[in-house]
Amino acid sequence: MKKHILLVGGYNKTISMSQSLLKKGYEVTVINSNYDHCQKMAEIPKLNVIFGDGTKPFVLQEAQIQTVDIAIALTQKDETNLVICELCKKKFEVYKTVSLIDDPKKIKFFYAMGVDSVVSAINAITNIVEQQALIDEITTVIPVGEGRITIAEVKIPMKAKTVGKKLWEIDLPKEVIIGCILRDEESMVPRGDTRIQAGDELILISSDKKEKAIKELTGEI
Amino acid sequence: MKLFNAEQKMDRLNLIIGSGRLGASLANDLSDQGENVVVIDKGKSAFRKLAPSFGGMTITGDATNLAVLKEAQIEKASVVIVVTDADTINIMISQMAKEIFKKENVISRLYDPERKAVYDGYDIQLVYPAILSVNEINRLLTEQQSRRGEG
Repeated sequence: MKKHILLVGGYNKTISMSQSLLKKGYEVTVINSNYDHCQKMAEIPKLNVIFGDGTKPFVLQEAQIQTVDIAIALTQKDETNLVICELCKKKFEVYKTVSLIDDPKKIKFFYAMGVDSVVSAINAITNIVEQQALIDEITTVIPVGEGRITIAEVKIPMKAKTVGKKLWEIDLPKEVIIGCILRDEESMVPRGDTRIQAGDELILISSDKKEKAIKELTGEI
Repeated sequence: MKLFNAEQKMDRLNLIIGSGRLGASLANDLSDQGENVVVIDKGKSAFRKLAPSFGGMTITGDATNLAVLKEAQIEKASVVIVVTDADTINIMISQMAKEIFKKENVISRLYDPERKAVYDGYDIQLVYPAILSVNEINRLLTEQQSRRGEG
């Protein structure tokens, strides 16, 4: 049977998320307390739209909460999201609940209340902005393994002292390896004798000392 | 149960969240009885409902914010009474009082009895205005009927 995902509240987020979930083959239901928003969302094919307040149990029942596998609370109010998740979990025994949170200080509290996954937009955005602002050599950083390992993309500038050097000539921390080099349109797995060229994009996999490695690779002469 | 003497009364701190009709009249009552009272409400005008004789403290702020609760000395409060006009806010604040501040005595109002399940597993005392009114009206009706029966 198709997995059933319930999205409560939100508008732009909910639209793009429901479209992406429908494309992946899930059954998607949205609950929204704004009638105009409901009408707009009802134009999306295959999407079930319920008009009502998601903190009311009968509205959740109308959305066939018994069949829901994952409930996601996307309203702008923390208390509303909390109550939606708690109702889903405790009253209707939904397998997984996810909540958006505005106040990062309450993340631990939400987990203690039984919400399975708490997403703080503020934390996520500040982290990204901080990364972009402080380490401008990195274009993308992806945390994996609960954030212990990061995969980062580093572009080699024209004036870097590593240009023309072989990989084994560069003093990289042992916590960092270069997993891949993107040069023009092709990508290659580097070896010790691969030479770095200006404009190369390196994919770094690191457990620690990423900043030192980046400084080493992109530092100017 | 032990009765409180005057000295203990001074140490007791009642924290009331939400200065609506219920919160404000409760605050007035407790203050008249000589209890320490702190009232939080997000709108300053809500405190107009407090009596001129009210001797407690008022704090203007959003009680879902941890800093505001701390400013209201929630750590010292012996009872936390959560009576804002929104169920969702009451639920969150009373659970925060239990979970984050480990308060033993939390009383909350719940308009919609259907939402009771969210309080499962938490020792929070609940007041249901709807159920109380139903019981009271039923009582009045049976009283009237029995009076009619007599007459």
